Formats: sequence, C-alpha cells, structure tokens
Amino acid sequence: MTANSVIGTSVARHDLPDKLTGEAKYTSDISLPGMLHGKVIRSPHPHARIVGISTSAIDGTPGVHAVLTPFNVPEGRLAPDVPILDRVARYVGDEVAAVAADDEDLAEYAASLIEVEYEPLPFVTTAREAVEPNSPPVHPGGNLVGGEPLTLTRGDVDEGFEEADRTFSMSFSTPAHSPAPLEPRAAVAAWEDGRLTVWKTSRGVHADRLSLASALGVERDNVRVVGATLGAGFGGKDESRLSVIAAELARRAGKPVKIEATREEEFVAGRKRHSTETTVKIGVKNDGTVTAIHATTLMDTGAYLASGPGVVRRAGQAALYLYRCANVRYDGYLVYTNQPSAASYRALGAPQGHFALEVTMNHIADELGIDPLEFRLRNHVGIEGQAGERITPTNEIIDTQPVEGGIPFSSNGLRECLESGAEAFGWNERQADDSQSAGHIKTGSGMSMFIYRGGPGGRSSARVRLNADGSVQLVAGLMDVGEGSTTVMAQIVAEALGVPYDSVRVTFGDTADTPEAPITAGSTATFSTGTAAKQAAEALKAKILNAVATHMDDDVSALDIVDGSVVSEDGNVRLRLADVAAMVGENVLDADASVMPGSRDHIVNSFGAHFAEVEVDTETGNVRVVRYVAAHDSGRILNPQLATNQVEGGVSQMLGFTLSEEMLTDPQSGVTLNASLLEHKSPTVKEYPPIEVIFADVVDPIGPFGAKALGEPPSVGPAPTIVNAIYDAIGVRITDLPATPDKILGALNRREEA
Amino acid sequence: MNAFEYVSAQSVDEVGELLAANGEATGIIAGGTDLIGEIKQGTARPSRLVGLHSVDGLRGVHLYERGLLIGAMTTIAEIAEHAHVRSRYAVLAEACDSVATPQIRNVGTLGGNLCQRPRCWYYRSPLFDCLKKGGDRCFAHEGMNKFHAIFDNGVCPAVHASDTAVALCAVNARVLLMSVDGARMMPVEDFFVRPDEDATAENVLQSGEMVAEIVIPTASPNLRSIYLKAKERQAMDFALASVALSIEVSEDVVSYARVVLGGVAPMPYRAHSAEDALVGMRVSDVDSQRIGRIAADGATPLSDNGYKVRLVSGLVSRAVRTLLCDESQEGRSP
Repeated sequence: MTANSVIGTSVARHDLPDKLTGEAKYTSDISLPGMLHGKVIRSPHPHARIVGISTSAIDGTPGVHAVLTPFNVPEGRLAPDVPILDRVARYVGDEVAAVAADDEDLAEYAASLIEVEYEPLPFVTTAREAVEPNSPPVHPGGNLVGGEPLTLTRGDVDEGFEEADRTFSMSFSTPAHSPAPLEPRAAVAAWEDGRLTVWKTSRGVHADRLSLASALGVERDNVRVVGATLGAGFGGKDESRLSVIAAELARRAGKPVKIEATREEEFVAGRKRHSTETTVKIGVKNDGTVTAIHATTLMDTGAYLASGPGVVRRAGQAALYLYRCANVRYDGYLVYTNQPSAASYRALGAPQGHFALEVTMNHIADELGIDPLEFRLRNHVGIEGQAGERITPTNEIIDTQPVEGGIPFSSNGLRECLESGAEAFGWNERQADDSQSAGHIKTGSGMSMFIYRGGPGGRSSARVRLNADGSVQLVAGLMDVGEGSTTVMAQIVAEALGVPYDSVRVTFGDTADTPEAPITAGSTATFSTGTAAKQAAEALKAKILNAVATHMDDDVSALDIVDGSVVSEDGNVRLRLADVAAMVGENVLDADASVMPGSRDHIVNSFGAHFAEVEVDTETGNVRVVRYVAAHDSGRILNPQLATNQVEGGVSQMLGFTLSEEMLTDPQSGVTLNASLLEHKSPTVKEYPPIEVIFADVVDPIGPFGAKALGEPPSVGPAPTIVNAIYDAIGVRITDLPATPDKILGALNRREEA
Repeated sequence: MNAFEYVSAQSVDEVGELLAANGEATGIIAGGTDLIGEIKQGTARPSRLVGLHSVDGLRGVHLYERGLLIGAMTTIAEIAEHAHVRSRYAVLAEACDSVATPQIRNVGTLGGNLCQRPRCWYYRSPLFDCLKKGGDRCFAHEGMNKFHAIFDNGVCPAVHASDTAVALCAVNARVLLMSVDGARMMPVEDFFVRPDEDATAENVLQSGEMVAEIVIPTASPNLRSIYLKAKERQAMDFALASVALSIEVSEDVVSYARVVLGGVAPMPYRAHSAEDALVGMRVSDVDSQRIGRIAADGATPLSDNGYKVRLVSGLVSRAVRTLLCDESQEGRSP
C-alpha cells in the first residue's frame, strides 16, 4: 500500500458540486434545436389484439410530425419477447402507438385522437391462475417460463426431512413493488447522417446501445448512448420501450424527439419488483440442527420476461446457502401474467426469498425454545461454505450464487455481523415480552441475517491516462446511477497510482469515449470495474516509473509515486507528474485493463445481520420502527460515508416494501389503481427510524483493496427483521406484505377470535 | 389535461355571474390541490375556472359575538395556527394538522377541503365509468375496497375524504352557500348528500353556487374536543378512519357529546348511539372500550375493509379515554 491512503476515507463525491448547484444535467434538462415531444398511446385492455389503428383525425395536422404503430415499425426487437411495438397488448398501459409533435400538449392531444381498434382477449392477472392448464397464454408457449420450474438441489432433501425430528412449513406472499424513483424515465433521440445519439436515463450505456442498435437495425458503431445524470437507478430504469420509441419517432420525423414518462407512466409502465408466493419447508433436529430446506417460489414476471430468470434464481439463494445444511432444494416458477411488467429492482429476488426463510426460521427457533440469535449463531454458513463436492471445473470462475458445496468463501463476516449487530442493538438486554400487558402500544425486537451474491460481474474494462497537466483521466463505460461509483473509482485509481484524489478526472457513461462495461447492476461496479481500474492504474504506474527511470537513468525498482510525484527510495522528488507528462510529450502514457473479475477457488459473497425495535399500536394497526441496526460484511469499505448512505438508503427503501408500499391492480380489469405518489405509500421522513450502520472488519482477498458488494445487500434484511419484531410485539406473524394496518388489525382479530 | 380558461373573480357577485353564464363547464378553483389532479386525470374537464383569490372577504378567521366565522378561502394552515381555534376548538385545529402535507395545507382552503372529491381509485381512474361519474355500476363493491366505507355503503362506498368536515360536524358548524340567487345556510352535516340520493355528488351545491363561509357557534367553556386520524403513513395520507369527539362535562357528568367518524362513510358519520351512550354518564363510569364498540355498531364491511370496524372502535375508545381519563392527553396522536 502506498502512503497515499485515499481508500477508506470519505472523500467528497465527484458529482456533489453540480448536483448542489443545479448544474447537473438530467435527461429532462436536455433540449435540442427543433426538438419534438413524443407521447405514447397505451392499452386500456389487459390483453387485446390490435386490429387496426386510424390516424386520419390527425393526418396533416400542423405540428404533428410522426406516428408510430405496430403496423409501421421496423421488425427488430428490444428483447426476444419485446418488439418495438406489438400487435398484441399484454397489460393495461402497454405501449400500442406513439406520436411526435411540436410540443408536449399537442402530442398529448394528437395521441387522444388516434383511434385504436382492439379485439379484447381472455386475460389472467395472478400467477396462480396463470399456471392453470387452461389459462389464457400471455405469450405463445404458455405462461410458465421455460415450461418448467428452475430446480436447484444439493444433497437429498427427502433424506434430510427423514433425518429431522420436526418439520415446519410456512407460506408467504410479497407484493409488486415499485422503486418510485424521484426521476421518471426519459429519453432524447437525435439522428445525424444515419447515426443515432440517445441521451437517456440509463444504468448501462453499452447495454442500451446494443439493444437500441439491434432493435432499430443499425450498426452498433452508429449508435451513441449518453447516460445523463440519473435521478435514481434502483435497477428499474431500463428494459422498457421508451428510448427505442423516441429513436424511431425521431428517425421518421427527421428531428430530435424527447419522451418523458409521467409519474403515472413511470409507475405503470416502468418496472417493479416481482410479486411472489413462497412456501418454505424446513426439517430440524430438536437441538436446532437444520437437516433439510425446501423452498418453492411462484413469481409473477407480468407481461414481459425482462430480467425474470435471474430474479427467480436469486430468490432461492437464501434457502440454498444461508444455513449450513446438506440437503436443500429450491423450485422457482417464473410466470407470465397480464400484469405490468416486473424486472430488476435492488437485490432482485433476495428480499422475497429471505423474508420467507428468515420469518420461518424465527418461528422454528421460537418453537424449539431457542433464542433467534443463538439459533442463527449455531446454524449460519461459515467461511468453509457448504459440505459437498465441487462441481465447477477447477479452472473456471466460481459462480457467486453457487448451489454445489465443497467451495469455501473468500471471506465471511456473517458471525461478526451477528455478534456486533446484537451488541450494538443490545439484543440480550432487549425489553421483555409485553404482549399481554394492558397498554395498547406493544414493543418488540426482531432480527434476521442474509447472504448476497454480487461483486464479480461481467467483463469490465477501464483506461487510465496521464493528462498533460499531470492529472489522471479514468475512462470507463460504467454508469454512475447515483450511488457514487465515479467517486469510488477515482479513489481506487488515486490509491493504486499514488496520486491525490482530486487529481483524478473521470469519464463515464458515454459510449462514444469509453470501453465496454456491464450495466451498473447486481452490486458489481466497485468489485468489477474497480478491479479493472486498479489494474489499469497499476499498469500506468509501471509505465510512468519506467519512463522516468529511463529518462533520469534511475533504477526503476527504487522509484515510487507518492502524492502525485515520482520519488526515489530516499524520498527525494525526482519529477512531478506534470513534468512527466511534459517529458513524454506526444507519447501520452496510458494503460488499459480488461478483466473477468472473480475467483476460481472461492465464492465471493456479502453478508449481514439486521436488528429492529418496533412499536405496534393495537388500536390503529400502525407499526413504527423505533430504531434499527444494520451490520454488514461488504469487505473493506472504500468510502465510509457513501457506504453508510447505501445502507441507510436500502433500509429506508425497504421499510416501504415491508410496511406500506405495493402496486395494486384491479383483479377484474387489470387496471393499476394506485399509480401516484399519493396512493403508492412510500414512507416519509416521519416513518424513517434512526439507523445505526456497522461494517464488519473484513478485508476480502479477491476484491479490489479488499472490497465486496454493498449496493443491494441493505435491501435484503428489513422485511424479515421488522416482521419478526412485529411478532415479538403482538404475537402475530405477518406472512403477507406489506404489513399495513388492515393486516395487523385483521391478524389481531383472528387471534382473539381463535 | 384539457385546456381551460382561467378567470380571476373580484367579487362574490362576479363569481356568481361567471358561474351562471357558463353552467357546468365552469368550475371554481380555490387552492386547486385536488382539482388540478382531477383535471390532469381527466375526471374533471372544465372549460373555464373561476379563481377566488382576489375576492375580498372570503379569507380569514374572525371572532364575533356568537362564535367564529371562517372564510372559505382561509387556508388549512391559517386555521391550524389560529390561537383561538387551537385553544377552544382543538378538534378543528387537530383535523387541520392532519391534512396532507405542509405544502398542501399552505395552499389548500377550508372551502376546498369540504368540496374535495372522493379518493376512490375507481372514481379517479379514467378507465372506469362508475356510478359517481354517471355510469351504471360500482366497481369497488366487487373490486378492491380496503379504503372504502363500512357504513351507508350500499350504493357508492367511496368515503368522504375531508378531515375538516368531520371536525366541523363535531362542533355544530354551519356553512353559508352563495349564488346569484342569494344565500342559504345549513348545518355542515346537511351540506353532504348520501349516495342513494345522488351518487354523482357529495354535497348539495347547485350549479352556480359556492361555499362562502363557515360559522361555528361559541364553544362552551366546558367543551373538550379531539381529532384522531388513523392512516397508513403519518404524512400525506387520507384517513383509514378518523374520529372527531367533542364532549362537555358538568359536575362530573357528560352533558353533551358529539361522536363523528371520518373515512368510513360517504359523508361524515354521526355515531348517534355512541353519543347517547355517553350523555348522562358519570365520567368515572365511562367504559371507553364499550363506547368504541357501540360507535362501530351497524357497520356493514365489504370484502377488504373489515379491519375498519376494529379501527373505529379503537379510535373512539382512545378519544374518549384521552378526553375523560388521561390527564396527560398522550393519546392525541394516534
């Protein structure tokens, strides 16, 4: 390690000045000369064939420049099940046609005059009905994606249940859940000489470029995607038709086109967390040893597949790997319905899977008379991983979400999280059971633990260059979705190179200037692009030192870079980096790195344990989270302030998932009923509890400077933690999220009647 | 949203003339916090809106010999902050505190709060032609109805969303309506209409008529009052259920009681049997839980809102407890 130590300090965010002064340009701030505005015509039916579209009412209307229908679009697709526009509408709000006009009002007016003739089709709005044999198919080939469930097993689960003294089974459901980002999605598209530029709300400009190019039938190199400053990513910002519609309207109109989703459109036609039904069956010995875990999840992907296969797989990770257990099985059913499409949302299926598993585990601990913390300390997976045979060939990178046993973790701070979280919370001194006391406000404490994949993502690249003024340019295709990756990457480069943080400039989020990068997703940016940035910076350092050694006739092994200057072993400054740049002149020093991050010997996972104290009002059904402790093993923390923000944000966000937020659709019609910030009950400042954040003292041997994944893990713990605390308070186990007052009061009624 | 013309009226007479000139297509806009949302959603499509901000005499809280006059254009925040309202009509001040958010309370008016349209999601969505919009069926009865009415819910179970209306009923307030044809005054209770009389309207306002003023009779020095509101989140939310309770106690006996429920019926709902059960009781004999149960008597919950029966009982019980038993008044925020 150099003497620099930028790593581990809370340097100020790169993007802070622009955001604080209003200089940051979001997509909606972008305006081009002659730019038109687009509006989308959306289906009022949950399932319908589009028989015809008449535009005669607006043909020749001044100011209306282009109309897009399923009958005049190019044949390309954004995804295998998503053409640019389709002749079948699959949910209420599905894109049917679009129009571009001089201004937004005119576009809206023109859209209202376009007549669409629909032939309504039979539809299905629940996953349970959708998998019935005679259910109307949402896509050809039936509603169960792939025709069979995803089944993952280790050991023999039947044998495991035979070994058990007792078997427990519980069922759970979780709602469709919108990220409700402050910024609705938007895109601006412009063509020039057959080349397309799109500015958009993006979490991965290179992936967006590929899907736009393939849908529009344009060479990839003729498409440039620029990720404007993003007002929240959370996974949900892509996978919709908005930008391809803008691009095709712009091509037809011969002018730039901007489309901004309204708040209602963002809720309905944006993307959301999959609703699920999960049943968990667990076998245990009387001493609390877990002998078998079998989880089954039925997951509603809505009208389109999007990232569904990855999400349904991740919903099984807790059941398969969180507890030391030789016999496990997960069956994941991913199902199409005529609901608005689900897709990626922070932590994908993990919150749903952990909610079911960790509430059931609390039930088991209670039934066995074991403290829930003690139960987990006895059973959590250790650094050695699961028992069993490694199946992955020895020369291959280990999946971050393995099923097989026989592979150790690179690091595993789960026990430290359980212990330090319990200590900070005062778990052993928590308030005694007051559920039978006379007062109407009951207090309870709950906890849960989690495991999360992340870290290693796909192939990641970075380029680092010494600028003429001695500053250092980091160029990466990554998109900072608001989490601060530009800042952390600059820290990594500064540390690896030995320069001050302020001297690193960052170019991100524009396909024109940057090498390929995966999307900012799966909590992989710091680990993956960070590894590439570190290697590129190390390579550049070697080049700089070699150049100086050659020029000054020094021994290269006696040189180092400290605080932006090349120094010799005795600490004397040989050259400042600006002098090095001047010295090499036009022979600019730069270095590239392209890495496939990961490990061939270890599983790289993050861990954590959360604790909450709640007050439940038995007269109103309100649950108030009084305080919260979140203990995380995300390896070495590169920027404590940003990391703490991530945890606080994730916990706060999932407070809504747990207690108040859900997207509701009318079962008779498929219409979304609460597509507004008023009716979709995101928590407010009055709901957020004080959150104490603890990071385990873990330095991962694989990750850059010891870091592991952090972006998504904070979202995994809140639901089971709070629901377990509710049980502790009132003796009622909520199995159907969100735990709104109607459910709390209904459960209390049922318990009193029983 | 449809385009509309905005006219700023300068006098009550001019409001009446503008309304009379153009019939149903002209609407009144006060704070606009509800109406603009309705126009954006297409539930309201006025071609002209008459603004009231420049009309003299419609704004302010005034004490007079027989009570309190509150102009219809007085903002919710102004009422909540008014010292006399806070000290003598706690139920109204607390109802105002509970409305929406500070931003909305700063522009939303009392007249607008009384005239706001229901939050029923079937009514608000342009995709349902429901009874309230002149259609021939109610979608909530067979659909999702956890926020809907548990009383008087046979025709249109959309609940009245106003907090202030519930509180005003508990202090026997009256409302003054004006039009070019003159003025009329009635108890706030009678301002609202039941869906079986007219499912498309929530109140008696005729075309061309406006709410001008609220009159609250002088409160007895013995009056104690409270407003409790249960919601899913503690700001920016409508009542799952609310209770406005006002009670007078003389010589340790309850001599007067008003129990008015919000969020559970198409209009503020007087729980007469609970009032009857309270009046005449010695304070030390009042069983708050029993009063709570009585208040919920006669509820006819729908598929998703059975919890409101327990909720109403709990809120009424807590309100009674807080006013009569709990000197610390800790129960004031539910």
